[in-house]
Amino acid sequence: MPKANDHAILFDASHCTGCRACQVACKQWNDLPAEATVNTGSYENPPSLSADTWIRMKFTEGVQQGQVFWDFTRDACMHCTSAACVEACPTGAVNYREGGVVTVDDNWCIGCRNCVQACPYDAIHFNEQKGVVEKCTLCYDRVSSGLEPACVKACPTGALHSGTYAEMKDLANKRLQELKAAGYKEANIYGLNEMGGTHVLYVLLKHPSTYGLPVGLTTESKKVASGWLSAGIAAAVLGFAGVKWLADRRNEVGGES
Amino acid sequence: MKGGEWGIYIALYFWLAAMGGGAFLISLGFKDRRTRLLGAWLALIGIVAGALLLIVDLGQPARFWHLLVGIHPVSVMWLGSAVLALSGLGLFLLIISKEWPEWLVWTTAILVLLVVGYTGVLLMATSRPFWSGSPLLPWIFLASAYTTGAALLVLFGNHDPRLRKLSFNFAIIEVLLVIAHLIWAYSQAKPEVNSLISGEYAWAFWSFIIIGVLIPLYMEAQRKALALAAALVLLGGFLLRYFIVYAGQLGVMRF
Repeated sequence: MPKANDHAILFDASHCTGCRACQVACKQWNDLPAEATVNTGSYENPPSLSADTWIRMKFTEGVQQGQVFWDFTRDACMHCTSAACVEACPTGAVNYREGGVVTVDDNWCIGCRNCVQACPYDAIHFNEQKGVVEKCTLCYDRVSSGLEPACVKACPTGALHSGTYAEMKDLANKRLQELKAAGYKEANIYGLNEMGGTHVLYVLLKHPSTYGLPVGLTTESKKVASGWLSAGIAAAVLGFAGVKWLADRRNEVGGES
Repeated sequence: MKGGEWGIYIALYFWLAAMGGGAFLISLGFKDRRTRLLGAWLALIGIVAGALLLIVDLGQPARFWHLLVGIHPVSVMWLGSAVLALSGLGLFLLIISKEWPEWLVWTTAILVLLVVGYTGVLLMATSRPFWSGSPLLPWIFLASAYTTGAALLVLFGNHDPRLRKLSFNFAIIEVLLVIAHLIWAYSQAKPEVNSLISGEYAWAFWSFIIIGVLIPLYMEAQRKALALAAALVLLGGFLLRYFIVYAGQLGVMRF
């Protein structure tokens, strides 16, 4: 679990208007270039995170029981406590920093992209020009100097908050109670248990899977353990088949001589 | 083109290391020094060529040594590079030794087995639904290492009929495992499985089944053009790696 004084962000979907000031602020503060995209029939843009886009608003839209719905969720690194990218990294370049923030040391990263494959949020990406991976830093340069992350600072509706993990958790619980009282029965908090607890918490109006958020996640170390277990059984079973073949062969050779 | 994907170098590496490693493991079943030495050479060439491909594929190839100066045992990538380096050393020592000490043969055999097996674990421990959708990838890669390893020894002039029999048996096991994997992973990885059956990578999948498995099995049963059959088995081994690596990354956007 994150520590009480860790850096944290709270995203309150019930206050988000999808204005994407957070996206623009992130680009500006981190000096990230724009992306050339095409219209896919949605206001959502760009279509996914990349090495040049560390945060974007995901638009979930459609018609449900004759009612139009248009919901916005934040899509960025969750700064997991048991981060798959950190555990998958073979050099320690992707690592936990003080306050639970997960960042990439771009002087140490070798560009193997194992973290890209491991992340369940698709939040870390390979920059082909630089030859290293990049992602949201939770504005580590800002928060370590007492400033808010750029996305939080730019949010005009109070959908984004930042502070210590304990503060954000309290705020999330308070907001959840308000929403439940206002009749949003499905309202919930996302990120309390995922990947050891994430340093970014979401207050959502509907079930996380409605917005394509992964649920029932397995940590990287558990995946690795079950992988080795399966490989061990495979080696024993298939290896046995091979050994048996060799033994039969030796008997035959022995019989001939 | 979106960055961050593993491509042709990775597929080639999986193929080369497994083929050479499989040939070495099988050659240990032979008593004669000639076959064993051939196996060790094939494995060393496969592993060194594969390691070079891995280094070239890095975003920062000159920093490859960063892998070797820390200890990150949970990272399958780290463990893989460690066993890759150590197995290369073991094979080199065997090749230059006149006598093969038992302990060195065993240690190297286990390291080579790890090289062959870790690649499956590496893919399983990701968030790609097609790779992590079943625990069978290490089984498939191991079976294919035996199939292609035996075929490689046949191609290098070993005419022991039991070698072809081994390749034959493991080819059948391998295909059954691939089918089991597709069925098992289907619920989580529908687009990936469909791309293999009738979509973007169907050419590779069906070529693997027909050219890489069924035709060589038929040729083997008919005792015809055995060297060509072995070559087709090797091609099939590459196609298998190719479609697993490529189709597995269709599931990029999951949010």
